[in-house]
Formats: sequence, C-alpha cells, structure tokens
Amino acid sequence: MGRSLGALVACALGVAVGVHTLVLVHRSPAYSFAGGSLTGGIALLAAGWALIAAGVVFWLQRPTSRFGIVLAAAGYGWFLLEWNNPGVESAIVFTIGLCLYAACPVLVGHALLAYPGGRLTAGVERAVVAFAYVGGVLVLGPLRALLFDPASQGCGQCPRNLVLLSGHGDAATTVRRTGVYLGVVWALALCLLALDRLVRARWRPGWPVLAAGAVYSALVATTFAASTGRGLLWNGTLERHLWLGEAAGLVAVAAAVSWSRISSRRARSTVARLVVELAQSPPPGGLRDVLASIVGDPELVLAYPVGNSGRLVDAYGRAVDPSGRPAQTSVVCDGRRVAVLGHAPGLLDDQELLEHVAAAARLALENERLQAEAHARLEELRASRSRIVSTGDAERKRLERDLHDGAQQRLVALALSLRLLRSQIGTDEHAAEARLAEADAELDRAIAELRELAHGIFPAVLADGGLAVAVRALAEEGPVPISASQLPQGRFAAPVEAAAYTVVAEAARAATTGLLVRGSEHDGVLVVEVETANGDEALDRVSLEDRLGALDGRLSVKREEDGRVRIRAELPCGS
Amino acid sequence: MRVVIADDETLLREGLARLLTDVGVDVVGKVGTADELVRKVELTRPDVAIVDIRMPPTHSDEGLVAAASIRDAHSSVGVLVLSHYLESHYATRLLEEHPERSGYLLKERVKDVAVLVDALERIAEGECVLDPTIVSRLVGRPREESPLDELTDREREVLSLMAEGHSNDGICKKLFLSPKTVETHVRHILLKLGIADTGEYHRRVLAVLAYLRG
Repeated sequence: MGRSLGALVACALGVAVGVHTLVLVHRSPAYSFAGGSLTGGIALLAAGWALIAAGVVFWLQRPTSRFGIVLAAAGYGWFLLEWNNPGVESAIVFTIGLCLYAACPVLVGHALLAYPGGRLTAGVERAVVAFAYVGGVLVLGPLRALLFDPASQGCGQCPRNLVLLSGHGDAATTVRRTGVYLGVVWALALCLLALDRLVRARWRPGWPVLAAGAVYSALVATTFAASTGRGLLWNGTLERHLWLGEAAGLVAVAAAVSWSRISSRRARSTVARLVVELAQSPPPGGLRDVLASIVGDPELVLAYPVGNSGRLVDAYGRAVDPSGRPAQTSVVCDGRRVAVLGHAPGLLDDQELLEHVAAAARLALENERLQAEAHARLEELRASRSRIVSTGDAERKRLERDLHDGAQQRLVALALSLRLLRSQIGTDEHAAEARLAEADAELDRAIAELRELAHGIFPAVLADGGLAVAVRALAEEGPVPISASQLPQGRFAAPVEAAAYTVVAEAARAATTGLLVRGSEHDGVLVVEVETANGDEALDRVSLEDRLGALDGRLSVKREEDGRVRIRAELPCGS
Repeated sequence: MRVVIADDETLLREGLARLLTDVGVDVVGKVGTADELVRKVELTRPDVAIVDIRMPPTHSDEGLVAAASIRDAHSSVGVLVLSHYLESHYATRLLEEHPERSGYLLKERVKDVAVLVDALERIAEGECVLDPTIVSRLVGRPREESPLDELTDREREVLSLMAEGHSNDGICKKLFLSPKTVETHVRHILLKLGIADTGEYHRRVLAVLAYLRG
C-alpha cells in the first residue's frame, strides 16, 4: 500500500515538475535548451517522464534495488537543467536549478553502472560515479552557486540566488569552468564503463539499457567538450541538437529498462511452468528434457559435478562435456555448484531468471545430482575392477614370461651342460672341469633370478615384519635412497600394509632421487606420505588409486610450490 | 665338530649331510621340522644346529623361532640359519637377540663347503656370522651423503668384514695384515662413523650392523 502511494506521489510530482518546466521554457525559450518549438517540448517531457515512469515501475517490481529510484531521480534531474533559466522569476526554482542543473547525466551514469541490482560492485565504477557526483553536482552546482551573484555578473532579470555566500565573480567562473572540464572527463569515463559492461555482458538482457546509456553519456561528454571554449553549458545550435540527442538516448534507456522488465516477467512464467512440470516428478534423467523444453533448447546439456574432482557426468553417470555447447552456465545453490548447463547462447543470461530456475528445480536437481553421482561412482568402480583384473592378468603374464625366459632357460641350459659333462667324464678332464664351472655359474644366476622373482611377487618381509620393516628393506634394495625413520611400528591388516607398501615401492620405482617417507596413524586412518623431487609423471597413479580405492583409501599426488612432489596415501585401517 | 641339520627338503638335507661328513664334520642328526630339531638338539647337544629358515607348517620363519629357542635353552649350542632372504631384517632378528654362536647365511652357500665349514667353526668358537652378500648389499645401498663416503677402500673392506662378524684376528688372516694395522683401521672406522668403541666384539658387530641399516 505504502509503495503504491509512493509511486503515485512520485508520478504526480513528475507530472508537476514536467509541466512546470515546460511553462518555464515557454516563458523564456531563448535561455532554454528545449526552446519554444514543439519538438523541444515533446523531447523535454518525453525524456523526463519516460525516465521517471521506468524508474518508478522498476522500483515497484524490485523495491530492493536502488536502480529504480536513481533512474527516477535522473528523470527529475533532466527537467532541472532548464531551471537555472534567468527568466524563471522564482528565486527558489532558480536556486534549485543553479545547484542541480547538471545532476541528470551523473544520476543516469550511476543507474547504468548499478543496473539492475542497484549496487555498484566494481571499485573503479564506484570511484568514477563518486567523481561524477563531485564534478557534476558539487562543483558545477552548489560550490559555484555559493560564489555566484547573478546581479553582479550582469544578469539583471535573474532571480536571487538563495545560497549565495559572497559574490566572487572570477572565482565562480573558475569553478564553473573547472566543472565543465571535469564534466568531459567523468561523462567520458561513465560512457567507457558502460561500454565495458556492454562488451562483457555480451548479449545479456540488459544490453540495450547499457547501449542506450553509453550513447547518452557520449552525447553528454560531447556537450561538455563543446562547452569548454565558453566555460559554461551554453544553448547554442550545436548544443540544442546534442540536447535533442540526449533526450532520445534517455527515452531509449527508459524503453530498454521497461523491455527487460517484460522479458523477465516472461521468464518468471517459465519458472512457473517448470514448477508445474517438476511437481509431476520427471523420471530419472528427465530433468534435462524438462529444462530443455522449458528454455526452448532441445540440445541442452545438463551436467553434474562429481565429488571435488571437477568431473562432470550426466544423470546416468556418464562423462559429459557441456563446453561443447556455445554457452555454459553454472547453477549454484548455497555457494556450491550443483549443475552445469550447456546451452544455446543468450538463453540463461538473466541471472535473476537463473536464480529462480535454480530455486524451483533445486530439489529435483539435487536429487538427480545424487543419482548421477551414485551412477558415476558405480561406473568408476566397474572400471577400476576391470582394470584390477587386467592388471592382474598382465602381472601373471609377466611372471610367466620371466619364469620361462629366465630361470627355466637357465635350468635347461644347465641340464644340457650336465648331459655334455657326462659324455666328457673320463675322456677330457680339462673340458669337464670348465663345463662344471660354467654350470655352477649358471646355477648361481638362476638362484638369484628366482629370488628376485619371488620377492617381486610378494615381499615376505612385509608379512613378517610389517610396513616399517618392509620399507626399510626396500631402502636396502635401491636404486634410490629412502629415509623412513617416521613410520608406525605397529602392525595393520595385511591388505592395508600391502597397499601402503605398494605406494612407497611405486614411488621408489618412479623417482630418480631420494625418498622421504613418513607415516602416522590417527583415528583409524593410516597416512603414508612420500616426499621426493620427481617421479610424479612416471608414477602409475591409476593402479595405485585402484589399489587404495579397493580399501576405501585415497591417493593424492601434488607438486608443491617448492617443486617437491608429495604423494599422500590415506587408508582406513580400522584401529 | 658335531652338527644337527634341520631342513624339510630331504634331498638338500641328505646332500648337505654328505658334503659335511666328507670334510670330517660329524652329523649327529637330520630332521625335517622345527619341533624335531628342538628335540634332537636336546638329545644330542651338538656344537652347531644348521637350520633352514622356512620349515613346516607355515614355511615362513619357523627356523628363526627354533633357532632362538635353542639359543635360549642351550648356551653352548650354536645355530646357523640358512635362508633365501637377502633382507637384513631376518639376520638382524637372529643376531640381535643372541649374537654369540649365531650365524645367518644365504642358502646357496651349501654348495661352497669351505665357506660353510668356516662359518661353523667360527660359530662354535662363539663368534657370529653374517652372509657377505647381505653385508655388501648393506654397505653398497644407496644413501644420501654419509660418513661412509669418507672411508678408504681398505677401510670399507675392513668394515664389511666386521659386519660379517669377523674378529680382529679373523680380519688379519683374511687381509694378510698385522694386528696393529687392523686395530688402527677399526679405530679409524668407528671414529669416522661415530660408533662408540666398547671393545666388546659382539656389541661391535651389532653396532656396525645397526649403523649400516640405519
């Protein structure tokens, strides 16, 4: 109730101010920008009223945003440009005009950069708007008015300046001239910032507002630039034409604001439709179809992030890449990314609409995201299992090959040596002796090979002595130095020890420099950390992850800022 | 020299017995399990029991356990453990508890009867014996900067022999050096590595081993 009353008052005031300004202009057209023409009158009223109306309507729809108020204020400001007219008769009107005649472009600039939320977010934008207020309102307005005595400046018909402190003709002129120069700077800056937003906003719904506003600010800057010669805002032929252009720009701004309100209302009905659709609870994976039909993009991609990995999957847990579509939008709930949409350009650019959609579809999204995550994990598990099987097969194949090509070959050679030896006994003692030595050496090699092979299959010392002892034995093996003074001496379940040992052994295999191994056990989790200078590329991460994953453990491999590689395995050890 | 042989592999047991008998060692018992071994030792009180590290029923470390219990029960009976494992862990397990009259050799030494007999004799005399392959692996293992790098080749040789359990006399004979030279080497080595010289032979072996494993 209070709001509509406020709106009504604002509109009535706008009508009154507009009509009053028109009267002023007609009374003394020579000093005005609008002049006495019909075009001038229409431009004057159209621009001011359009801004006030658009601002008030916006404020009614989004009272939390200051944008509507600032825009309406700019509408009033537009009329005030005509109020410092020497022919206005009323001292109050004249003084208001003196103080605020250049306020309109500042307010428009402020509104533009705060569109549509009503807040200036970027520091540079805040600074430029503050600067514009100083230059356009303070310097050109009150600061100069304090020193400006119309009578002593040769304006006999001017009404009295009510805020005159003491007349300093030269000082007032200097301040005004400074204000005009500043005007070129801030009007240009506002224009550039609006253009910058326009470029960054691409084709978001707010773009016509920014475009019209940028054109307007550019015209204002031109007007100030044209006025630097005289040092005041003059209403010559060029300036009047520019003024008409500014009026057109402001009408365009107001129209753009209204249009984007209409389109956002359309979006809201979209959301309403979404709510209805979701009430019928779509089948698993059906959310994408619902969203696709509602936003009108049949190719829409709906992807869910899995865990913290940044991996994206569809509702069935299959990997999906929304970056294949021209535009991507993240749906964020409570600061967490719950979904990513890949869609046709321009569809979901309206942040407000997106928020509404996210809110409406939140439960359904969350639900489907969880399902997708479950699917993805299952898929991961399946892949891991098949990898484990094929790794096992490959390992067996390697063993088979090593046995055949290594130890067995040597034993066969040995058997042959013995056979030859038999035929040499008693005939050639010397050759038999050499043959024996050869067989002996062959046997040594076979034994060493078998021992290495057996150790590779499973280090017995791990089962016998546990992790700390096995890592110590690993250090004896080489090829890289291993320092492992801080490992838990206690025993853990065999699979946990084996997995932790495998991480260290794999790191030792991959690295070419020394390893620093640390371990600790807290709250039922065994943490083993390996620090080294390299080897993160050569590390067989997938098989280690599979191995740890099978025990609900986790592996992380990080290269720290100091260049050190840190491999960290966490294993639930249930103790 | 009287020995008992414990190995579950008959061929190996018999072969080893014959080999030792041939060089004049008196094999007073041949057994296939740890329990039999303990009983046999009880009965025959040999100078040394030769024990395979892997024996029934679990084929893991039964030999080591039996060796420890023999050393516990009979201070005059030495043990020589034969093992497949290169890791110093097992040898240390044996030597740390009973350094005197204990030995640990890789199993393939059975074909080198001279080495075997030498080890048996040293054990019977109260020394401890550690396989040279294990020691050379320990000495040569990769490490970050270490005082070991500062040892001369001769000193490294002496260090290895110390770790293998040789006494100063033994080192003299092995390297054909005078007792004085060996003593000087030993003193230098211990000083360079920062190992306290207690002058006690078994403690010195363990200290050197601990240093090499550390």
